[in-house]
Amino acid sequence: MIFIKKIFLFFKRESKLFFRNVVDLFSNILFFFLSIFIFVFALGADEQLLKSIGLGIIWSLLLLSSTLSLRKFYEEDFNSGVLVIIHMRGISYELLVFLKILSHFLFVQMPFLISIPVASLLFNLPTSEVYNLMFTFIIGSLILSCLSSMSASMNLLNKANYSIGGIVVMLFSIPVIIFSVGINEVGSDYKSLINILLGLALIFLGISPWVSAAFIKLALRNK
Amino acid sequence: MFGFLINPSKFNKFVDIILKPLIFTSSIILIAGLILVYLSPLDYQQGLTVKIMYIHVPSAWLALLTYSIMTIYSIIGIAFKMPFSFIVNKAVAPIGAVFTLLCLISGSLWGKPMWGTWWVWDARLTSVAILLLIYLIIIFLDKTFENKEVREKTTAIFILIGSVNLPIIKFSVDWWNTLHQPASVSKLSSPSIDISMLRPLLVMTIAFSLIGLIIAILRIKAEILIRKHR
Amino acid sequence: MLLINNLSFFRDENLIFENLNLSLGNGQITQLRGKNGSGKTTFLKVILNLLSSKTGEIFWEGQNINKNIFNFYNQITYIADHNTSSRKLSVLDNINFWKGLSSSNLSNDETLLLLETFNLKKYLNTETMYLSSGEIKKLELLRLILEQKKIWILDEPYNHLDDSSIEILNQTFVDHTNNDGIILFASHYNPAVNDLEILEFS
Repeated sequence: MIFIKKIFLFFKRESKLFFRNVVDLFSNILFFFLSIFIFVFALGADEQLLKSIGLGIIWSLLLLSSTLSLRKFYEEDFNSGVLVIIHMRGISYELLVFLKILSHFLFVQMPFLISIPVASLLFNLPTSEVYNLMFTFIIGSLILSCLSSMSASMNLLNKANYSIGGIVVMLFSIPVIIFSVGINEVGSDYKSLINILLGLALIFLGISPWVSAAFIKLALRNK
Repeated sequence: MFGFLINPSKFNKFVDIILKPLIFTSSIILIAGLILVYLSPLDYQQGLTVKIMYIHVPSAWLALLTYSIMTIYSIIGIAFKMPFSFIVNKAVAPIGAVFTLLCLISGSLWGKPMWGTWWVWDARLTSVAILLLIYLIIIFLDKTFENKEVREKTTAIFILIGSVNLPIIKFSVDWWNTLHQPASVSKLSSPSIDISMLRPLLVMTIAFSLIGLIIAILRIKAEILIRKHR
Repeated sequence: MLLINNLSFFRDENLIFENLNLSLGNGQITQLRGKNGSGKTTFLKVILNLLSSKTGEIFWEGQNINKNIFNFYNQITYIADHNTSSRKLSVLDNINFWKGLSSSNLSNDETLLLLETFNLKKYLNTETMYLSSGEIKKLELLRLILEQKKIWILDEPYNHLDDSSIEILNQTFVDHTNNDGIILFASHYNPAVNDLEILEFS
């Protein structure tokens, strides 16, 4: 009972931190829309072209926009020493990572869900594609949050080169994009692709707490 | 004589006198405008949907007007270091953003039945969308910096840079011949729009301006109070 | 009773300290004294099991802490030189977070009284980033009383404190030891506290 209270307390703190930093969220969304504009100007505004590639552009930009907030995953808590305190109060590092992934998913990725319909409007995507996009984004962004956690914890050990974390996320998100976008092309066989996506999500949800916690412990030891 | 435009205390005094009459008049004008819109004729081609124009066009004009006001105050603020101008910038930016958003949404709703699409990347729509993004960035810049002087100066400079967008919006329909129709109301030639539609349009524009003005006044007063409190 | 037996620690094949023995009983306050870099902080971190690859054992109330490390942690408040308060949250939010994590029974009135004693009550709803560094340090030290734990382990607690705050901290230490609390701290500042046990690091 006390343990569950502590978990709620942790979430309450994360949500408070999120709401105090709402500007960051809006900046991410602004970045997303600005990059859409850039793509449109770069490709030329041919309506048929945009309709056919819009889905891919939106997915790629969602991925890139979510790697913007990579730094804030663990860095501030690590530097302030709060990670150690939370650990000493009974929440293992693995559970901490899991909770952080969930709160990242809820507070950073889910707001993008609202931007997806608006972006689809800009590309005049057919409604079935929009539904597929939103559905696969819910699963895919969970995977992206797991990947972000792993690379952010890697970044704790290495203060010099920050882009390496983002690069790792991008690498492993390729299968996510392949399977998410593939749903639109496969027609009636989409259920198998969704299963693969769900499987990926569960795998990453399972291994990222251990991987991230290992990196965090290593970083704490070498602080 | 125009001290209320420059000086916070003169502004407060002036505004305290005119606020209540202003609210009263603008309510009447708004109601009159809505009645005129209701009575205005249907377009022979578009039918009822043409009446979205009475919201779309005034909000577009007001979005541009607000930005122009911000530009002027930014120039004054940077050149003469007048704190009131930055107060106006901060207060008025969200109003402009809302008018731009209203313009885009009403335009989208109007476009779907007229042209069959919610959005098209034509010159005027794109530049108005960019105007919205510029407004949002202005609002963010204000929340980003903690140092007041840096915040105000940066925002003002950004407003000036963004003002390049205004002529682009205005003349985009002339420069690029795409979907939007060229301007029907201009000072230099007699309007090419029928008087029965022009009247409600002008009344709604005045109503929107007054409402925007009231909100701006309230926000400026609030901002003055906040600064005094600090 | 905290018993530390034959503790040695290597880092990258460098010997940091060797065969250290320490026993800390109720009401005892111990200072680790030594120059910067002499290994005080490392010693504290090894005791707290934040660093591994040590030799030697640590016993709390007769039981090896490795058997149930969270049981041990649950008796400790650990304050290092960094501030675990979140800059963007208010003082009250931070306090409630610390209290909740430690399942503290301190009532709201007692908390407010505590804040008033330390001259922080006016900041109750201000975000922590607006406090001066000394005040943030004071806020951090409030954890000692807020969390209501028996063992206090501190690393350089006197940094950033002004004279009156040092006085208050010393008094807080004395009150805690009078209530059978155990205090272990590392500092290069030597406080004016009675019955101070000293372990020299060189």
